[in-house]
Amino acid sequence: MKLFDPTSKPVERAVEIAPRPASLKGLRLGLVDNTKFNSDTLLHKLAARLATRHGITVALTSRKRSPSHEIDEAAVKTLRAQADLVVSGIGD
Amino acid sequence: MIPLEAVEDPQKLIEAYYDAGWTDGLPVVPPTDASVEAMLAAGGFRGDEVIGEIAGRNQVVVADKVAINAVMAGCKPEYLPVVVAALKGLCHPDFAYHGPASSTGGSAMVLIVNGPIVRALGVNSGNNAFGQGHRPNATIGRAVRLVMMNAMNTRPGFLDRATLGNPGKYAFCFAEHEDDHPWEPLHVSRGLRAEDSAVTVYASNSLYQVYNQLAAAPEPLLRCFADALSNLGVPNMKGFNQSLLVLAGEHTEIMRTSGWSRRRVQEFLIEHTRRTVADFKRAARLPGEVEPADATTWRRLFERPEDILIVCAGGRAGSWSACLPGWGNKWTRAITTVIAGGPEMAPRPPVARAAPAKP
Repeated sequence: MKLFDPTSKPVERAVEIAPRPASLKGLRLGLVDNTKFNSDTLLHKLAARLATRHGITVALTSRKRSPSHEIDEAAVKTLRAQADLVVSGIGD
Repeated sequence: MIPLEAVEDPQKLIEAYYDAGWTDGLPVVPPTDASVEAMLAAGGFRGDEVIGEIAGRNQVVVADKVAINAVMAGCKPEYLPVVVAALKGLCHPDFAYHGPASSTGGSAMVLIVNGPIVRALGVNSGNNAFGQGHRPNATIGRAVRLVMMNAMNTRPGFLDRATLGNPGKYAFCFAEHEDDHPWEPLHVSRGLRAEDSAVTVYASNSLYQVYNQLAAAPEPLLRCFADALSNLGVPNMKGFNQSLLVLAGEHTEIMRTSGWSRRRVQEFLIEHTRRTVADFKRAARLPGEVEPADATTWRRLFERPEDILIVCAGGRAGSWSACLPGWGNKWTRAITTVIAGGPEMAPRPPVARAAPAKP
């Protein structure tokens, strides 16, 4: 007799990490608002603090369709083109 | 497959599945080569066939894992097409699986089966439709949850972060009672043909029953639904959920004889499912002090008729129906998928619909 494994693991995919900037000074910031409640408030307070401390500018804010949905490819393309640094990931 | 030394005692084999962490807490049916092959054959699937994918989790759902979990759940082979169609629904982008599957809200995945396959498989739509005692209902729902746990990376405490969960997370599958229906059945209301068999997947918070033994017309009865759906603790008030109403027993008859259309019922509920801003503020569901105008400022919980899903199920006797509030505001949508290759039906490509083609 034998056991049948009912599980499957996530598919491993190589992800290329963007090089870390040596300094935040003057960088263009992109915000990804996942639309959780108050996420926009928190992200913009964070952006204001980064602007004060490091002189970053908010280049764009991208709002996801919902927290459940992935960010769409068009938004990723725009972020790549217009931002040097992206902040995302807000919980409740 | 994991080779194991010979295990002669079935109890030991069942314990081995527990020890591996592969069960939902209940004993499973240990698969065999023959039972897994029979399961795949009934659905007409190759073992390596991709059923669906949850892109955000890099998780691919493959037929042989579905078959193994379906055997473990106690499914008969002929149930597999329903399980597969339900999984295709969960993998549909508009269902947005990650939210309802992982949320602290702990939603159950409700499966509503329609069409000729209901009779062919004996899926219960009558007395005790939500309850125990019917193998298709119990094992199809259970198979979907086992696949979620084992093959879609949805384990309690990890990517299933339910605060309380609900009992429907073990299994929640029933059929719509299409005889003596006041209107067209659910799958037809969502753009499919009456002769299609289909399963609708819907992420639901816990159900509560609605009782009314005196109402003889739709208005007073529907006011009970509106009240139940707008309680101060309901998640709907955060912005236009879907919700599911299950009309049962004498309530179905009231609707059938009233001549009200499905659309009229939905519009009545949009109008009457509401609370004042003052109510929500007093309950700290909205921030701020109560202002004089808040007592006459209404907040409605639905905006589109098609977001109020209405099905008929349950026994003919009794003054009970049920509300099943949806999980998450606009973050997930019910998906209706044609069941391909079921018994007594010609195989056809699956069609998934996120929204009705007509009102």
